[in-house]
This record gives sequence, C-alpha cells and structure tokens, in this order.
Amino acid sequence: MEFQELINSPGLWLASSVMVIAVVIQAFVFLRAALAEARKVGMSRERYIGGLRSAVITAIGPSFSPVIVLLSLIAVIGAPTAWMRLNDIGAARTELAMVSLSSALVHGEVGTASFGVEAFTYALWGMALNNMGWILVSLFCVHRMSKIVERLYAKYNPAWIRLLMSGTIIGLFAYLLSGQITSPMLHGQYGKLCAGFVSAVTMLIITRLLAKYQRMQELALGLAMLAGMLTAQATFG
Amino acid sequence: MHAEFNTGSEFNKTLITLGIATLCFALIANFIPAIYLFVFHGIIPKGEDILKIWGVAAATYGVSWVVQPIAYYGVLGTSGSYITWVAGSAGDIRLPAAAMAQKVAGVESGTHEGDIMATIGVASSVFVSVAFVTLFTFIGANVLPHLPQFFIKSFSFILPALFAAVYMEVARKDIRAGVGGIVVAMILTYIGIQLKAPGWAMTLIIVASGVAVNRILYVYDRSKKGTEKA
Repeated sequence: MEFQELINSPGLWLASSVMVIAVVIQAFVFLRAALAEARKVGMSRERYIGGLRSAVITAIGPSFSPVIVLLSLIAVIGAPTAWMRLNDIGAARTELAMVSLSSALVHGEVGTASFGVEAFTYALWGMALNNMGWILVSLFCVHRMSKIVERLYAKYNPAWIRLLMSGTIIGLFAYLLSGQITSPMLHGQYGKLCAGFVSAVTMLIITRLLAKYQRMQELALGLAMLAGMLTAQATFG
Repeated sequence: MHAEFNTGSEFNKTLITLGIATLCFALIANFIPAIYLFVFHGIIPKGEDILKIWGVAAATYGVSWVVQPIAYYGVLGTSGSYITWVAGSAGDIRLPAAAMAQKVAGVESGTHEGDIMATIGVASSVFVSVAFVTLFTFIGANVLPHLPQFFIKSFSFILPALFAAVYMEVARKDIRAGVGGIVVAMILTYIGIQLKAPGWAMTLIIVASGVAVNRILYVYDRSKKGTEKA
C-alpha cells in the first residue's frame, strides 16, 4: 500500500474514530448527569439552558483557531490521524512536536520524502504515549484533588479557600494572556496587545453597561473576541 | 454551608465514577490506531524504540503531564478536569465555556451550583469543538481559500482576544486582584523570557503568583479590619 493511501485508509479512519467517539460519549454522559443535578437542586430551566447556550456560543470562536494547523497536519500525517488528534488532548503544536520528535528516531523528517510508513508509525506511537501521560495523571490525581479541596474547606477558613481557588483562576488566565502579549511587545509588535485590549474593553461594556440584556450576555465573549481580532487586524495586520 | 456541601458531595461521587470509567475507555482508544497498524499491516516500532519514544515524550512533556492537571484543577473542577484531559483545549475552549455558563446562569464557581454549570458548560463545548474540527477536516481545504484574506489573517489574534475577554470577566469581580494579577504575570513572563525559563515552570510560578496576590489582599484586608476594630 502506498504511503498516502495508508495514512488515509478506511481502516485508519475506523481506528481513529474510536477516540473521537470516546470524547463525544464522555461529554454526553457528563452533560446528562449535570442537567439531572441542575433539576434536582431546583435551578430554573431558563438559567441552566441559558448557561448551556452561552457555553456553546463561546466555544465557536476558539474552535476556529486550530483550522490552519489542522490543514498542515492533514498534509503530514493524513486526515484520520489529524482529525483524531485535534479532537483529543494535546494542542495542535504539541502533536506536531511529537510527530517530528518521534519520527526523527528513524530519521524521518516531516514534510519530506523521508517521512514514510516507518516514521508515521513512530509518530502514531509518539502521540499516543504522550497523551497517555495526561490521561494517567488525571486517572490517579483528579479524585484525590477533589478530596484535598474538600479537606481544605473543612480545615481552613472557607473564605480564604475560596480566594485561593479564585487566585488560581486569576493566575491561570493571567499566565495565558501574558504569554500571548508580552513576548511580541518586546519585539515591538503591538497587534496582540491591541486585540486583547479591545476585546477586554468590549467585554466590560457588554457585561456592565448592557447587563440587563440577558441574550447579549450569552454572546458577550464571542462579540468581544470578534471586536478584538478584527480591530487588531485592521490596525496592525 | 455544610448542607450545601453534602448534596454536592454525592454529585461529586457520580462525576468521579463517570470520569474514571470514561478515562479508562479513552486510554484504550488512544492506542487503537497504533495497534491497528500492527495487527493489520504488521508495522510496529521495536520494543526498545517504543521505550525511547516514551522517553522523548516524558523528557519534553513529562512535567506538563503532572503540572497541568493540578494547576488547572482549581478552575476546571472535577468534571471539567475529566473532560479536559481527554478532549483537550483546556485554556482556549473548556475554561471560557465553563466561565460563561456560570456567569449567564448567575452562579459562583466553587459552589455546588457552580460545579453543575461548569460541567454543563465544559461538556457542551465539546460538541461544538468536535463538530468544527470534523467539519474543517472534511471541507477545510476547499472552503478556506474562499474566505476573505482579512478574516483568515485575523485568526492570529483569536487567542489574545479570547484570553483578555475571559480575564476581564474573572478579574472584574475583584479589580485589585485583577490588575495586580496581570501586572505581576507580565513582569514574571518578561523575567522568564530573559532567563529562558521552561514553560512548565512559568505555568506554576504565575498561577502561584495569582494565589499570592489574593493572599496578600486577604491578609491586608483582615489587618485593616483589625485596626478598625481596635
């Protein structure tokens, strides 16, 4: 079987779809459990469905960001594998890094003729072994983390523990945001800073000044993002 | 507080059972393409090479395997963690979806209702991202060239715009912590770039700095209250 034929073969589509099915089934069982619990604690349908709708709208924008990497991944490792790996754990750049690191062991270079069946096999194992790390750590740690948090609440002042948790949220998003804007600023590029600034101000306007329009709140993040990225593109692009 | 906690704890147990079961399924599914190549085409790396590949992965991402699930736990919660460490996209899709679901439903993170809404938000965001990745896989190469260049180029600004909007949403609850958090993070990022610090260390240090900012404000507020009383 030719290389291109193999990496896009029906068998590989089938084998790759199991993980995507796992992802979808998992989301489905968690959603069902949470909706049942929302009804059980007496939340109004309007509230939790509004929240769900907002999450769906919010997820649309960032779902666009890997599309360009996805197309280059398809060219290198075939559509079924690219499809599977962008639907599971590991950012696109992580998958690309693992592909080139593991295929290098058999002197396969991504994007050249040296990347053949053997290099592809190594890449498949590389991505699987890498993903296994996160899955295993979660398997062993998440339920323990939840116990630790429960114990912290019991042992310390709940007000402080709540601040501790909100501190991790602030810290995490400060990390993600600053990672995007700081380095380009040092190189005199302000496009990303502009995108972030406009987006943040838009978010503030929608959530503060337009707070009474409930439907507007559901769209808030999507609108803020669009305002930020389009302004930055128009000004610095 | 206690009654609220007990009802939440039962829900938490359900989530943990579901989480462990689905993680085990995902663990197997993760290897199926590699095993398929072995069974149907007889191609597999040598045993020692599989170890070598694992070694390369562990050397590059091993710290992230451990650090990320722990650093993100406070934000993702139990169910969010289980879903994210299978479906990926923690910072760019799952967290914003959870935050917006909580905001629109008017619940606080860290409460039982907050956990419910985070689960609803994270789970429903998975359907969206899977649908888009699937759509782009099949039609991306045909559709992309027809979109306006201006729009495609603006994709490079998606992440800063997204993170800034989410940051505004979480930071406006406490303006001092919000301003302090991003200023400290940018200073630390600058120092990290100068010192060429590894990514995992920056994640840990900056997340911890967010907690430190909150702690300082907490202690400051308490001491101020103390002096007022005195």
